[in-house]
Amino acid sequence: MSDIEIWMVIILLTAATVIDRSAFWVIGHHINLPKRVQEALRYAPSCALAAIVVPDFFISDNQIITSLHNPKLIAGIAAGVFYLWKKDMLLTIVFGMGIFTLVRLYF
Amino acid sequence: MLKDWNSSLFREGFKASAPSLFGMAAWGMVVGVAMIKAGLSLPQALGMTLLVFAGSAQLAALPLIVANAPIWVIFATALIVNLRFLIMSALIAPRFAHLSWMRRTLYGFLTGDISVPLFMQRFPQMWQNEAEERDQVLYLKGLILPNWFVWQAGSILGILAGSQVPMHWGLGFAGTLAILCILLPLMRNRPGFIGVLVAGVVAVAAHAMPYKLGLLLAVLIGMAVAMWVEEHFEPVTGTESTTQGANHE
Repeated sequence: MSDIEIWMVIILLTAATVIDRSAFWVIGHHINLPKRVQEALRYAPSCALAAIVVPDFFISDNQIITSLHNPKLIAGIAAGVFYLWKKDMLLTIVFGMGIFTLVRLYF
Repeated sequence: MLKDWNSSLFREGFKASAPSLFGMAAWGMVVGVAMIKAGLSLPQALGMTLLVFAGSAQLAALPLIVANAPIWVIFATALIVNLRFLIMSALIAPRFAHLSWMRRTLYGFLTGDISVPLFMQRFPQMWQNEAEERDQVLYLKGLILPNWFVWQAGSILGILAGSQVPMHWGLGFAGTLAILCILLPLMRNRPGFIGVLVAGVVAVAAHAMPYKLGLLLAVLIGMAVAMWVEEHFEPVTGTESTTQGANHE
């Protein structure tokens, strides 16, 4: 792509962020969502977070890997258990990265 | 922001998000490196991180840029990858409907994946008076402003370091682990637990869908199933988050 084209892409991507993130903030009070939809929205953040992280645990190079030869899956499970035990996010990140690196290098 | 720093609610928001900031910086760095590796020039990469500020959409767009895909395809992909924000903002935006449209646009733009759940955990209920309103605005700023700075710092570091950063170290995984820690407490009740499970399975199964539609599909199906579980299997006690009119102070 030429320089101009890439800048056009950057402008359009910016528009995509603003539309999706800010639209409801700007015009949402004109929209009356049904009560059931509002109730369902309470589950939106957790489902969105799950949709982001779960594929990272299972998919590598567009391949689904469920075996234990998957450093991210092993480290993810270990980090999850560690977090439930210690309730400390920073420690969990350090611990999880440690396990990930160990498994990646030695298994 | 200096003025806000003196408020305890702003600092409380900052503290709540502080551990995740390490993950966000690492993730920002990975996106920064990815932009350089995709062949963007220094100004282009800086422009993209400062203007677009959406890691998952940027990562989805980069291979399309490399492949010379039509520009509208790249736009549509980013729009769909980011649609989860539209859904999540319907939950949080009503708290700030009274602010000027410029503030709403700015705060909406800065409110991402991690800020929404952290905010809703701290303030499940709509504010009822001016003092509560101020608290909620300050807490939100405490979440989103440091997050923006840290993300940009990480991303710019990645852009400048470029190919010096060894990608096989998997630094971006730190961001995934930070999100995992925010996700786990949200799974404490049965509908939340099942919703997360379903969203995760759908996201993996549908990962190859065009325009990254799998991500959106996962959110929608996860929400619907969680709602269904709540209606069919939960005893009718959980009206906590729905009775927004109730004064709980």
